Amino acid sequence: MSSAIAHALDGARARGLGLRALVLVLAVPFAAPLAYLVVRNAEEGGVWSALTDEALLAPLGRSLLLATTVAAAAAVVGTTAAWLVQRSDLPGRRVIRLLLPLPLVLPSFIGAFALIAAFAPGGLLERALSRVGVSGLPEVRGFAGAFTVLTLLTYPYVYLPVAARLRQLPPAMEESARLLGRGPAATFATVVLPQARAAIAAGALLVFLYVLADFGAVQLLRYDTLTRAIFSNYLLDPPVALALSLALGLLAIVVVIAQRRVAGRRVPDARRGGRALTVPLGRWRAAAVAFVAGLLGLALAAPVAVLVYWTVRGVNAGTTRPNSLVADPGRLVEPALNTTIASVSAALVAVAVVLPAAFLTARHRDRVGSGAAALVTGGFALPGLVIALALAFWTLRSPGLIGALYQTLPLLVGAYALHFGALALAPAQVAAGSVPRRLDDAARTLGRGRLARLATVDLPLMAPGLAAGAGLVLLSAMKELPVTLLLAPAGFPTLATRIWSSTEDAFWADASIAALALLAVSGVLTWLLVVRRDHALA
Amino acid sequence: MRAFRRGGVPAMAVAALLVAILAASGCGGDRDALTIYSGRTEDLVGPLLERFSEEQGVPIDVRYGDTPQLALLLAEEGDRTPADVFWGQSPGATAHLAQRDLLAPLSSETLGLVNPRFEDPQGLWTGTSGRQRVLVYNSETVAQDGLPRSVHELTRPEYRGRVGIAPTNGSFQDFVTAMRDIEGEEATAAWLRGMADNGARTYANNNAIVEAVGRGEIDMGLVNHYYNHRFLQEDPSLPSRNHRFEDGDIGGLLIPSSASVLAASDKKEEAEAFIRFLLSKEAQEYFADETFEYPLAQGVPPAEGVPPLESLRPPDEPPARLGDVEGTARLIQESGLE
Repeated sequence: MSSAIAHALDGARARGLGLRALVLVLAVPFAAPLAYLVVRNAEEGGVWSALTDEALLAPLGRSLLLATTVAAAAAVVGTTAAWLVQRSDLPGRRVIRLLLPLPLVLPSFIGAFALIAAFAPGGLLERALSRVGVSGLPEVRGFAGAFTVLTLLTYPYVYLPVAARLRQLPPAMEESARLLGRGPAATFATVVLPQARAAIAAGALLVFLYVLADFGAVQLLRYDTLTRAIFSNYLLDPPVALALSLALGLLAIVVVIAQRRVAGRRVPDARRGGRALTVPLGRWRAAAVAFVAGLLGLALAAPVAVLVYWTVRGVNAGTTRPNSLVADPGRLVEPALNTTIASVSAALVAVAVVLPAAFLTARHRDRVGSGAAALVTGGFALPGLVIALALAFWTLRSPGLIGALYQTLPLLVGAYALHFGALALAPAQVAAGSVPRRLDDAARTLGRGRLARLATVDLPLMAPGLAAGAGLVLLSAMKELPVTLLLAPAGFPTLATRIWSSTEDAFWADASIAALALLAVSGVLTWLLVVRRDHALA
Repeated sequence: MRAFRRGGVPAMAVAALLVAILAASGCGGDRDALTIYSGRTEDLVGPLLERFSEEQGVPIDVRYGDTPQLALLLAEEGDRTPADVFWGQSPGATAHLAQRDLLAPLSSETLGLVNPRFEDPQGLWTGTSGRQRVLVYNSETVAQDGLPRSVHELTRPEYRGRVGIAPTNGSFQDFVTAMRDIEGEEATAAWLRGMADNGARTYANNNAIVEAVGRGEIDMGLVNHYYNHRFLQEDPSLPSRNHRFEDGDIGGLLIPSSASVLAASDKKEEAEAFIRFLLSKEAQEYFADETFEYPLAQGVPPAEGVPPLESLRPPDEPPARLGDVEGTARLIQESGLE
């Protein structure tokens, strides 16, 4: 008996090594962007003078301010929404569950533009309100504008992981708390919040990193962040842009490590089990409905209303262009298919490649795992343009098979997975951390091998978290622009590139039709990949 | 367990996707095709490129993208680039590549088709069509007689806080570079400072300015003439109108799209044939009729409503210096315009 235990322990050690080796190998591509920035900065020189330039401290400060406040706001909004649809008797929550992730898929260059057209002075809302004598809406601009718009576009980064966590959380503890006389608020604070803390922190970190890298929204809303400084310098002063990008990447890694220190890692074991808990909202019902309606109204209905308005207006005005979507909506089929193939592949590849790192970091306090996780996460904070240029740099310098991948679909999918791996990693870590070790140990003593345990114990328990991660990658890859434009195969239009192209030259009806198609496709895919699976597990 | 057995469907989806990817990766990137990096969008020029391919029997691979970002990619690709032609929206990005010796000189036959005013003095690129700098204004809030004759008047008190500009936009920067060339560094710096002190509001790009003028958020703004034509086509009720500065004013600069051949191309002949196609009567008429632009090849009239090139007399601008975007960006930053 004792030799059997010793044997199992040896095996465990050997498996730990194998897992580390796998994580290391998979982490190599994720190091590509930072390695590129180091190499190019060394070539160009002037890193130090760029980074000590006082003129750049202000944009850095603004980036940090915006990223922190948006992350905090998105954490509150996303968690509240997740709790309401997973735990309360909110009316219409099945439909709402499908709608809540969708604002993520609107590219900020059209999402922010539509929100400006809707809410800015003289915009659609003010024109509607002026009929009842209301006027003088505030400007959508600067910090307040960027904060509001980015919160509306990014809260799904928190919502999806937290909803997945709540889905998996056994209601028994909350029921006990209720039976012991605690109200819903106290139950939420003492039971739900500690259990969901890791998921909330992971989602808020993603929002933070997204805001650091965002360009479209801050450019339109005129808030001068570090990323705006990078973009406006890229062609003009490459050394400065390269130095700032490196700073951004390193900043992201520092934040990731710090966040892991602060948030801690040990999530209490909790299995999914029993039927779903439904807390009656009672007198809070009206407030809850108002909250969700307001959120979806601002983040989804308002931009959609503007897009529909532009579509109708354009259809009425007519067109003489043979390649217009107004004249021939059938031209959407190819971009829609391309978008689906590339983004679904990216979601699956991303989840697969980050899974080992998720296990390693969740199960062991381990430098290799933490390093790999930091690299993966850093890839999300770098602007897509930097990711694309880095991959062009490395691919073209690689011999044979890898070099031949340049501007092919596999490279595009790999680039998406690299850029958005963090979105799969964070929920996967939370999911891996919440698989009870004793279940795994029990399966091991019953003689189940590693793969068998993975298939029968770990993956089924992690499914909601993995699906949430896949969903985040999917929605982000669907709207991705710079990487797609630079690295997709020639003649591979996606919905995002169609929207961008039409926006560039002010074909608003075309842009709107393509954007509505993007929302529709993402809705269907979210349902298939995330919501439906979610239900199957209930 | 029930949940996991459902994994069969995703597994099949994965397999199907892998097959699709392998099939798709086999057909991309035709080695024999002429590869064009186009900063002009598919909406505008897609049909024209298809026509070239059909008429001349040359297969093409087109990569549409953002002009500055395509230039950055070309600089990164260097002599390994798959591109044969770079066709950008404005000369600034093309000049970036010329400075890095990545462009091949065009033949005199091609260069002879266009007025040298719209070509690189070293013959590394040629203009294919032009957009003019104008002042877009809201006709409900601004009276005709309140409009300036020169871009210099915009620093006067009566325009305080009423003018929108897009300081990070390529066309605005090209305009400032031309102003430095013609009127000198000091005068340009003074004008930029004057605009900043006069409370000029900054926007992301031409679209954002025209949209804000249409809403009435701002009275007027410095843009390329093209955008308001498009906005009015989609919504004829908009109050935004284009105003041209008087003849010869630097504010009315014509900004050419610029086409060039990559030095690393092994299809330079087809590449130049493509550029000559862009300067053919057929293509130039396409620009005039379909994209509201100024044809630059001799003898083709612009679209209805767009004044003929000869009548414009935009400033005689030696375009060599349009390449010095770095100096321009520094000047703009120093002026305090954000």
